[in-house]
Amino acid sequence: MNAIEIRGLSKSFRGLYAVDNLNMTVPVGAIYGFIGENGSGKSTTEKLICGHLVPDKGKIKLFGKSYKDAGVRARIGALIENTGCFPNSSVWDNLMMQAINLGLTDRAGEIDRVLHIVRMEDNAKLKFKKCSLGMKQRIGIALALLGDPALLILDEPINGLDAEGMKMMREILVDITRQYGCTVLISSHILGELEKIATHYGIIRQGRMIQELSAQDLEGRAKVFTSLKTQNMTDTFELLRQKFSDVRTEDGYIRVYDVDDTEGIVEYLLKNGLSVSEIQKNKIGLEEYYIELMSRKEA
Amino acid sequence: MTQTHELKFESPSFAKRIKGMLGVDFYRLFHTPMYYIFLAIAAIIPAMILSMTGMPGPDGTVTQPLYTNTWNIVAANTPLYIIGEIGEYANMNMVFIFGGIMVSIFIGHDYHSGYVKQLFTTHAKKRDYMLSKSLTGAFSMACMCVTYLIGGVAAGMISGTSFEVNIGSLLIAIVSKIIMSLGWASLYTFLNVIFRRYFGISVASSFFLGTGIPIIGAAAILGNSSILNIFLYGSSVYACLSSNILTLPVCAAVSVAWAVIYNLLGSLVLSRCDVY
Repeated sequence: MNAIEIRGLSKSFRGLYAVDNLNMTVPVGAIYGFIGENGSGKSTTEKLICGHLVPDKGKIKLFGKSYKDAGVRARIGALIENTGCFPNSSVWDNLMMQAINLGLTDRAGEIDRVLHIVRMEDNAKLKFKKCSLGMKQRIGIALALLGDPALLILDEPINGLDAEGMKMMREILVDITRQYGCTVLISSHILGELEKIATHYGIIRQGRMIQELSAQDLEGRAKVFTSLKTQNMTDTFELLRQKFSDVRTEDGYIRVYDVDDTEGIVEYLLKNGLSVSEIQKNKIGLEEYYIELMSRKEA
Repeated sequence: MTQTHELKFESPSFAKRIKGMLGVDFYRLFHTPMYYIFLAIAAIIPAMILSMTGMPGPDGTVTQPLYTNTWNIVAANTPLYIIGEIGEYANMNMVFIFGGIMVSIFIGHDYHSGYVKQLFTTHAKKRDYMLSKSLTGAFSMACMCVTYLIGGVAAGMISGTSFEVNIGSLLIAIVSKIIMSLGWASLYTFLNVIFRRYFGISVASSFFLGTGIPIIGAAAILGNSSILNIFLYGSSVYACLSSNILTLPVCAAVSVAWAVIYNLLGSLVLSRCDVY
């Protein structure tokens, strides 16, 4: 069974399609990294899943049931765009209102639990409007975690945070995804962070899903490359291009793609009078994979 | 330790859903100062009308008090559909105007803060939202009617106006007006759902319809016709100091009927439109 199954989903605003015939599959228990540039349709898709927007066409199923099913919806937690808290109410009151809405029995205990997860135990009495951006994001996550959600939808939870806030948010996300075992859909621009926790990825562009793959798929598809430095980078680059098909210069290094035989490269360069000062075997990460995929699509 | 998440999805019953939604609305109502401010406003209005209309002006001349009978601050002696003296409209029906503003602010905060998205992400259905807001608004307005009554009696005692009245008709008028709160609250909830993206228009439309101007306008054409009782303002006017036992079921039927209509329309609008 899939946690989210979307088929042929479309949503337009004044004739412009924000989501265009989108298909998406998120397996149960997955931590699904939802990737795309600004305006690609990530937030619109998430809002459609949460029932905030009415789709033009298409089907959304959550855990095999209609996304409108109250039983399923009772176990969804979401943080999309803003936290949806009343600014003049305290953090505690905002959480209490959601706990009442969900019909939780041990409300105080449940609020304490989620405040502990997001490291906000000491700020429960604070008015929401007095909270910093990082705190507001954490409160949003706390709200989403109330009532044992089976599916968490987090839209850019790290965006706009300072270094300290990002570090804390990263720790919280790791805690949630590793310890609380629910299916998570996270969209984020910070792909390096996403790569550390995601088990599946969906790459969206102009409202269409252009690729879905698991972390293992990415591992398999990710190119291996050797990066190196020599005293004469220009000659080395030309020489390597004669022998290997994919040679590029990036970040002050020469990269030879799809070749992990470092000894062979060193030997080849030495034979041609070039000594290697630095050499390393690498694999491209999610960020580079994404950029490459996007540039291929653009071409 | 890793928690295991059972994939059991039990659909919450209507009773559970509406209990949760009402719980949220009443929790918010009682935890925000706005509710108490409006209760106080409702208590002050009759006091101001009764005491200030009899006060000497800057030139020293004492104006005639608007009412010589305290209970006219609650309701007119007879149903006043056609406008005669504007002052004669200054009775408990004014609660519905201020109540409209309160409902507008209450619902406006839902959308402005984005809280409505939290609600609709979970099991809350659009019709639950409409019903809950209508009932919470009706409760608030009923409470405002009570504080209005207390304020009116206190002002009457201070200003020394007469308390002579047919007690039965007075009670029927008060209870009928309280019952009308449900219909009015449903109307305001509907208006605020329609204009959810435009807070100013929500308040203005609630105020405009709350004053009963459309019915007063219709009365100018139709005359003092009891057909106007089918409207919220008409029934609210019908509940007067000459009310009889028939007033109560008429007001209840009109209030409930409009509440049902506005709730159905509001649910339809919400289910077909995006939540902003």
